[in-house]
Amino acid sequence: MNEKVQREIFNLLVKKGVKNFVGVPDSTLKYFIDEGLKKEKILITTREEEAIGIATGMSLVGEKSLVFMQNAGFANSLSTITSLVQLYQIPMILLIGWRGFLKNDAPEHEKIGKIQPELIKIIGLESRIIDEKNMEKNCNWAINKLKKEKTVGLIIKRDFLD
Amino acid sequence: MIRKEAVQLIAKEIGNQPIISANGFMSRDLYETNEKKSNFYMIGSMGLASSIGLGVALKKPKKKIHIFDGDGNILMNLGSLVTIGSLKPKNLIHFIFDNNSHESTGGQPCNSSQIELKKIADATKFKTYKITNKNEIKKIMLKIKKETGPILVMVKINNSKTKSIRVDITPPNIKTRFMKSLK
Repeated sequence: MNEKVQREIFNLLVKKGVKNFVGVPDSTLKYFIDEGLKKEKILITTREEEAIGIATGMSLVGEKSLVFMQNAGFANSLSTITSLVQLYQIPMILLIGWRGFLKNDAPEHEKIGKIQPELIKIIGLESRIIDEKNMEKNCNWAINKLKKEKTVGLIIKRDFLD
Repeated sequence: MIRKEAVQLIAKEIGNQPIISANGFMSRDLYETNEKKSNFYMIGSMGLASSIGLGVALKKPKKKIHIFDGDGNILMNLGSLVTIGSLKPKNLIHFIFDNNSHESTGGQPCNSSQIELKKIADATKFKTYKITNKNEIKKIMLKIKKETGPILVMVKINNSKTKSIRVDITPPNIKTRFMKSLK
């Protein structure tokens, strides 16, 4: 996804009331994170589970929170998502960069990239793949879910090689 | 001093202020001895009590936020000390009840006995204190009341055969009443 759209997504989510952006950097989400850093709204943590913990605390004061991560970090976080976020019904957006979407991505991303749609489905996380055409619609969808105390995933495909 | 005694006495000093407690026997002891709506019992997600506490502390700077952690718990999320130390929330008070073991799972050894957690906390910019017996609790609690955070208190405890009851409030209910208590 190109730079302009990533920056637009960040600003759109801020406009819709998302206050907290916590996570671990991912090159797929580089410009999204950069936009947040410029606006001093990003908190970078040591691990994705830690980010989910912090975002949980922030959600407990009633603020809309988002955790950004690569899908490797999503896989790390499965138990935290099920035994904290879903168990306590903590509203949160998980923004996940989809490594391994392209078949010839780096080998370490191949397996998780392949099983990611199934993983998301099997833990019962409602999600949407977000791109430049549907981004406004899917951001609105995610915000509406947050208002109903739901946790959702927004997925950005890694559609380039470097 | 066993954990249940330490939890009871320290929570009494904290009064009605928020506590986020780690999974396992920690939350069970807090629930049995000092149950209140401003306790967030984290029954799963081992390691994350300090992170949840940090999130609340950053957003409620006027409230003192207390974390009841275990040695095994903090070793699962040592990075949390780095994040807290770099953000320096003045209102965060982190207790680590250290029995050098994983008591909730049967008392297996924990490597906190081989290293110095307090020094790690010093290095990550916490103000650190130690409680080694019952008589020190009041004095240390008084001291930290006047101090600005982040504060870390190592509480030395022994294992015991006492087992507190399970937290029998549903997790969504734990959340809802905790949220109300913060308002």
